[in-house]
Amino acid sequence: MIIILVIAVMVSISYFIFPSISDAELEQKIFVTHSGAIVKTTGEILDPIYSVQTVDFDPDKFLREFNYGRVSMLEDGRTLREFTIIAEDDKTMEISPGIFYNVWTFNGTVPGPTIRATEGDIVRIKFINNGNKQHTMHFHGIHVAEMDGVFELVGPGGGQFTYEFEAGPVGVHPYHCHVMPLEEHIAHGLYGVFIVDPKEKRSPADEMVMVLNGFDTDFDTENNFYAANSIPFYYEHHPIQINTNQLIRVYVVNMVEFDPINNFHLHGNLYYYYPTGTNTVPSTYTDMITLSQTERGIMEFQYTYPGKYLFHAHKVEFSEKGWVGIFLVKENPANSLQGVEYGTWE
Amino acid sequence: MELGSKTSKGKLVASGVIPFAFVILLIVYLFGSSGDLLDVGVSLPEVTIEKIDFVAGEIQATVRNTGHIPVEVVMADVNDRIQPAAIEPDRFLNRFETALVRIPFEWNESEPYTIGITTEDGTRFEKEIKAATQALKPSGELVGYFAIIGTYVGIIPVMIGLLWLPFIKRISKAKYNFFLAITVGLLLFLGIDAIEEATEVSAKFLAGSFNGILLIATVVILSFLGLYYSGNKLVKRADASPYAKPVALGLMIAIGIGLHNFGEGLAIGAAVGLGEVAFSTFLLVGFALHNTSEGFAIAAPMAKGKPMIGKLVGMGLIAGSPAIFGAWIGGFAYSPFTSIVFLSIGSGAIFQVAVAILGWIRKEDDKFLASASVVAGIAAGMLIMYITSILV
Repeated sequence: MIIILVIAVMVSISYFIFPSISDAELEQKIFVTHSGAIVKTTGEILDPIYSVQTVDFDPDKFLREFNYGRVSMLEDGRTLREFTIIAEDDKTMEISPGIFYNVWTFNGTVPGPTIRATEGDIVRIKFINNGNKQHTMHFHGIHVAEMDGVFELVGPGGGQFTYEFEAGPVGVHPYHCHVMPLEEHIAHGLYGVFIVDPKEKRSPADEMVMVLNGFDTDFDTENNFYAANSIPFYYEHHPIQINTNQLIRVYVVNMVEFDPINNFHLHGNLYYYYPTGTNTVPSTYTDMITLSQTERGIMEFQYTYPGKYLFHAHKVEFSEKGWVGIFLVKENPANSLQGVEYGTWE
Repeated sequence: MELGSKTSKGKLVASGVIPFAFVILLIVYLFGSSGDLLDVGVSLPEVTIEKIDFVAGEIQATVRNTGHIPVEVVMADVNDRIQPAAIEPDRFLNRFETALVRIPFEWNESEPYTIGITTEDGTRFEKEIKAATQALKPSGELVGYFAIIGTYVGIIPVMIGLLWLPFIKRISKAKYNFFLAITVGLLLFLGIDAIEEATEVSAKFLAGSFNGILLIATVVILSFLGLYYSGNKLVKRADASPYAKPVALGLMIAIGIGLHNFGEGLAIGAAVGLGEVAFSTFLLVGFALHNTSEGFAIAAPMAKGKPMIGKLVGMGLIAGSPAIFGAWIGGFAYSPFTSIVFLSIGSGAIFQVAVAILGWIRKEDDKFLASASVVAGIAAGMLIMYITSILV
């Protein structure tokens, strides 16, 4: 009896002492990782480039997707743009390969759809809250108090509200839920971009939207991940393809919570920066801007030389947690200055 | 008659087994579909980083799933910055399963690092290392180094302590009992010391799910009982000859102290291996002083027997050399669990020895604990140990 007991104890102890001694004969595989480090292993690789991600959200699609709404003409000749936005708060999204987080969404994605209108248009948004909590839509811009989305809480389980206002002023603005606790509602993903174009079009360009955001997946009021357009490191291993000698226009909106500032550094180039996009004259020509919460602007630049150029937060902690990407600049096939027509006007 | 005893035996077995059968039924029921009813509350993942090794161009973290649910390790970081890594054998960890996370990283000597592991739900677990030092690899030089440390800490002090033998031999019975009582005091102190050390290791390195304190209590008591039982057999066999008994008792003490020194060696080796202390001469001196008293504990009962230099040296080795083996294991293959187990075994062994000596004193001195020399001896023993422990 004692012997059996002793053996049992020995076996159970040795189980803890020798944690899973693996077979040394296993084949070593080599991986080149996102940081350039090379990993040789018989096991698995932990790196965003190699991890499978079920793309709930496609940053490539989001980058150049603008929603102009259902367009009709009002009696007074103004353009009406109607949108339907549905809020939900029970979705789980793979926000970084292998990491699942409960996102709160406008129309199913973080960020929500980019809403675009021309100054003076009437924007009408049918807002439906299918979530389990109260939500609203609060637009930065000029509108009457009742349309501010702060005091008019929209109840859960199908509550509705119609926001209507005249698009303005010209520029790039955020919209977000404004229900308390506000930080929680924003940090979970209830935000998006609202672009108001000037009546006289901006010059043709390859246009894109970058929402700088982060996720606090362990709820310690510090972000675990940062990104341009939600998915960490995405544009690093899916470089954004652009052409030489073509005007690039980036609408940048900083929606990072918890951290007081974020910034945007461009490699091998400088850009003209229009804070909030409200002025036609750039405030600066630089490769580095600093953005506080919901601070935003328009960047314009073009590359002369083809190649790979990084863009990232120069608050390097953020870039090491995912807010880093690459522009893959290709020789312009036409080698012309012709740009992509911006806006497919309907 | 025979038939009757057989049926009653059958009944006995049945009555013993039936409750087990019900326990199994209960478990099956709870794990079965009906168990869903009882699933209230949220099971949170828990991953413990048990060990971090710094090797050339790489940081290696041994991680264990110490929670109640299976987890998937999906990311590693160094100082809260995401780093690519490899995980072997794979990233799925069942309860208590371990994996090795290998992070290619050009770390800097003696800088602090925090290593983090993130699971699939975004929870991050971390462990801090105060100063990165190259992980020890068994090399001839290091093996020798640990052997020397073990010798200084274990063998030499014990041997020096044994030199008290001629002195103890010449003193009167009352004084002799006083010295025996001193060894009891020393041993009690050592036993408590080992428990304290095990508790410290448990708090620092062992995941909560291992119930460190209960593990220590269980092992201390098992070790005590096991050694008490076998020790008694040894002494009984020695009863035949009047000279063999002191030797048997001395051997028991030597074995107990040896087990204790093994645990101590583990702790020293681990401390060096984990880069927690620079092993200084000062520390060595403290340990040596502290352990000299151990030799004394062996010498005291041996003084009653014939002088046997060979046996005495043998006992010194039994008591002292485990420190060397402990240092090797602690330095090259550290595991907090093993450390705690051996510290506890040592503690139980020491208590067993103390009890055996007390029994011997009782036979020699009728007043036992009411005798001034015994009480003074135990007190002196504990005080000596306390004072020398400050040096360690």
